[in-house]
Amino acid sequence: MNWKRVLYLVRVGMKAGRLIRGQRLIKYNVTRNRLFSYLMYLIPIAIGLAIGLLVGNFYNSQASNSQLQGLFSQGMQSLLFSLPTIVLVYSLVFTMLQQIQRSGVRFSQQVPYWLPVTWQEHTLASIIADVLGFPLISVIFISSVALTFSAFVGQVPLAVGAVLAMCVAAFMASATTEVFRILQVRFIGAIYKSTGRAAVWVRFVGSMLFFIVFYVIYFYITSGANALYFVQTVAYAQSAIWFVPFVWLGLTLYSLMNGPLLLGAAFIVLSLLFIVGLFLLGTALNSRFGLYEPPAITISRGVYAPKTGFLGRFGFSSVEAALIRKDLKAFTRRRELMTSFILPIVFLIIPIMSSLNGTQSSSASNELPSFMFAFTSLFPAALMAMSLGNFMTGEEGQNMWRLYSSPISAKNFVKSKYAFIIFFALLVLPITGAIGFLIYHPSLQTTLAMAIESVFMVFALGALSVANGIKGADFSEAPRPRMIRTKWAFINMLTCAGAGLAVLAPLVPYVLSTFSGSQLGIFIELYQAVIISGVIAVALTVIFYLMAVGNAKDLLTKAEV
Amino acid sequence: MTQKYTYAVELKNVVKRYNEIQAVNNVDLAIKPGEIFGLLGPNGSGKSTTLKMLLGLVQPDSGSVNVLGLNVKEDAVAVKRLVGYAPESPRLYEFLTGIEFLDFIGDIYGMQTEDKKNRINEYLKALQLEGREGDMISSYSEGMKQKIALISAFLHRPRLLILDEPLNALDPRSARLVKDFLHELKLQGVTTIMSTHILEIAQALCDRVGIMYQGKLLALGNMDELRHMSKMPGSGLEDIFLKLTGTGDIRAVVEELVK
Repeated sequence: MNWKRVLYLVRVGMKAGRLIRGQRLIKYNVTRNRLFSYLMYLIPIAIGLAIGLLVGNFYNSQASNSQLQGLFSQGMQSLLFSLPTIVLVYSLVFTMLQQIQRSGVRFSQQVPYWLPVTWQEHTLASIIADVLGFPLISVIFISSVALTFSAFVGQVPLAVGAVLAMCVAAFMASATTEVFRILQVRFIGAIYKSTGRAAVWVRFVGSMLFFIVFYVIYFYITSGANALYFVQTVAYAQSAIWFVPFVWLGLTLYSLMNGPLLLGAAFIVLSLLFIVGLFLLGTALNSRFGLYEPPAITISRGVYAPKTGFLGRFGFSSVEAALIRKDLKAFTRRRELMTSFILPIVFLIIPIMSSLNGTQSSSASNELPSFMFAFTSLFPAALMAMSLGNFMTGEEGQNMWRLYSSPISAKNFVKSKYAFIIFFALLVLPITGAIGFLIYHPSLQTTLAMAIESVFMVFALGALSVANGIKGADFSEAPRPRMIRTKWAFINMLTCAGAGLAVLAPLVPYVLSTFSGSQLGIFIELYQAVIISGVIAVALTVIFYLMAVGNAKDLLTKAEV
Repeated sequence: MTQKYTYAVELKNVVKRYNEIQAVNNVDLAIKPGEIFGLLGPNGSGKSTTLKMLLGLVQPDSGSVNVLGLNVKEDAVAVKRLVGYAPESPRLYEFLTGIEFLDFIGDIYGMQTEDKKNRINEYLKALQLEGREGDMISSYSEGMKQKIALISAFLHRPRLLILDEPLNALDPRSARLVKDFLHELKLQGVTTIMSTHILEIAQALCDRVGIMYQGKLLALGNMDELRHMSKMPGSGLEDIFLKLTGTGDIRAVVEELVK
C-alpha cells in the first residue's frame, strides 16, 4: 500500500462532488489559505466545545439537585453507548446519498485503469473520500460536545471510547457503501444497460422499492418521534440484534463499561475483523468489476429488421413509434429520468401519512376519506403528466441535433411526446387509485368521478406541460442534464396549477355543498360537474396541444443546440 | 537507467479466448527498444485485447507477456509505472480542471514537484492548451481531451508508450507536433506501440507494422518486408492491408451498394 498514492486519490475523490454542486473553479497557481479549507472542521469543534461547556456548567449549577444530575449522567451514558450505531446509520445514509447523487452525473469517477494504482489503494481512497465531508464533520462536532461534557460528568474514558468507535463506525459505513456501489455498478448497471422486458421490469420495480423504503423511513422519522425515544430505540435495538455486525461497535462500548471485559474484547476483535472483511470484499469486488471498460466482445445475433411495431396499430407512424420507443428506453435506463417515478409515490405517501396522524389526533369528518382519496388518485397521475412534459423535450440533450437533422415534423414530435406522457400518467393512475381505494374506502360514485377527473387532468396538464417543456427546453448536459430552464419550470408549475384548478372548478360547488351538509343545498349534481369539467378539459387540451405543435415548429426550425 | 532487456515488449504464444471467440490466437511478437511499432487490424481483430494484455488488464489464457523486462502477470503495477498509455476514447476525471488532472497524474507517477510543474507547463504551451488549463475537463472539446490524455501519457517520461489512435480529434498542428515528438522520443530510446486505422500515419511513422486479423498476427515487418510478403511491390500500406485482411474486393462491394 502506497500511502502517498492513497492521499492523491482521496484528494481527487473529494473533488468528485463538483459537477453536482456546480462549483466555480479556481485557476491553477492561485493559492488558497489552508486554514480556510480546514474551517469546516474547526468550526464544529469550536461550536461543540461551546455547547459542551454550556451544558457542563448547567450540570454543575444543579449540584443540589442530585436527581437531575443522575438523569443527566444516565442519559449521557445511554447516548454514548448508542452513538457508534447512530453515526453508522446516518453515515450509511449520507454516503449512499452521495453515490446516488453522483450516479446522475454523466462523468466517470473511476480511477484511470492504466495508472500504477493497486485496487487496495483505490478502494481505501474511495472509502476515506466518502467519509470526508458531512459524516466526518458531524463526528467531529459530536465528539467535541461529548468529550467536553464528559469531563463534567466524569465519563471521559467512555467518551474517548465512543469517539474512537464513531470514527470506526463512519469508516465502516463508507466501506459498506463502497461494496454496494461496486455491486450496483456491476449488477444493476448491467441491468440498466441491458434490454428486454425482464430488465425493464427489474429497473422499474427496483426504483419503486427504493423510493418507497426511503420515504417510509423519512416520514417515520419526521412523524414526531422525539430524540430521547430514538436513542432508547437504538440502545434497545442494539442488544436485540447483537448478531448483526454493524452494532458490534456499540456493544463493545457497553460490554467494556458494564459487562464482562472478555465480551468487550471479543466484540472489538469481531468489529475489526468485520471492517477488514468489508475492505477486502470491496477490494475484491473492485478488482473484479471495477473497470468501466471491461474487456468484452459483444456478439450480435440475427439480422436487423426495422419493426413495424405494436404502436403502429394505434395510429402512430414509424417516426412517432421510433421516438416513443427511444423515450421508453431512456426513461427505463437513464437514472436521472427514472426519478420522475418518485413524484407519484411522494404524493401517495404524504396524504396517507397525514391521514394516519390525523385519525389519531382528531375526529375526522365523514367526508375526509373521499377528500384524501381525491388526493391519492388525482395528484400522482396529474403530477406525473406535469413533470414528464416539463423535461420530455430537454431530456434529448445534445442528441437533439439528430432530431433536427431527421425528417421529423412538429406534429410527429409533439404526438410522440404527448402519447408517452399520457401512457405513463395513465399507468400510474390505476396503481395509486387502487392503493387510495384500499386505504380510504370511498364510495363508488366518488371513485368513478375522481378517476374520470384524473384522466381529464392528465390530458390537459400533459398538453400544457409539453408546450411549456418545448418552449423552455435546455439541452445543455454539462455538468449534468438540465432539461428545462428554471424560469420555464416555474412557469410550467404555475400554469399547470391554474389549468388544474380550471378543470376542477366545476366540482367546487359540489364539494362545498357536500362538506357544509344541510347548510348549503346541493345545486349541482356530481355527474353535471364532471361533464362540465370534461368540456373544459377537452377545450384546454386542444388549445395547449396546438400551442405545443406551434412551439415545436419554432424549435425544429431554429436549431440551436 | 540501464536496460536489462533485449526486447521492450515480448509476447510468446499468447492466447486469449472469450467464450467461443478466440480474441488472440497464438501471437508471437517482439518489439525492440526505441522502435515505433504500428498494430493494425480491422475492428474486432484483437488489437485492443493485445494492448490491454500489455498493461496487465487482461490476462492471457496461455503464453507469456513481458514488458520492459518485467512479467506483466507477476507485477502489472510495476509495468504500469514504466508505461505511458493513451486510450482511444480518453476517460478522464471530468470534474477536475486540466491542470489538476495532470498534477494528479504527475503525483501518481511520483514526479518531483518542480519537474512536474515545468513539464506540465511545457506540454500545455506546446499543445496550445494555455489559458484553458484552469477549466473543468467536462467543458473541453474532444480534441482538448485527447491532448490532455496524450500529455498524461508523456508526462512521466515513460520507457514505453502505448497509444490507441493517438491522433484522434487532434488539429493538424498538434497532430504534426505529436508525430515529430514521437520521432524524437524514438531517438532517445523510447518504444512506441500505436494502434491506428489511419494507415497513412502508420506507414509514415512506424518502423515496423503488425497486421492482426481474427486474433492472428497475419503479417509483421517493415514496409519492404510487407510488400514482399504480400507480393505487391511498390504498393502502399492500405493496399497491402486490404489484401492481407481479405477486404480487397472494395470495388465489388461499392458497386453492389450503388445498385
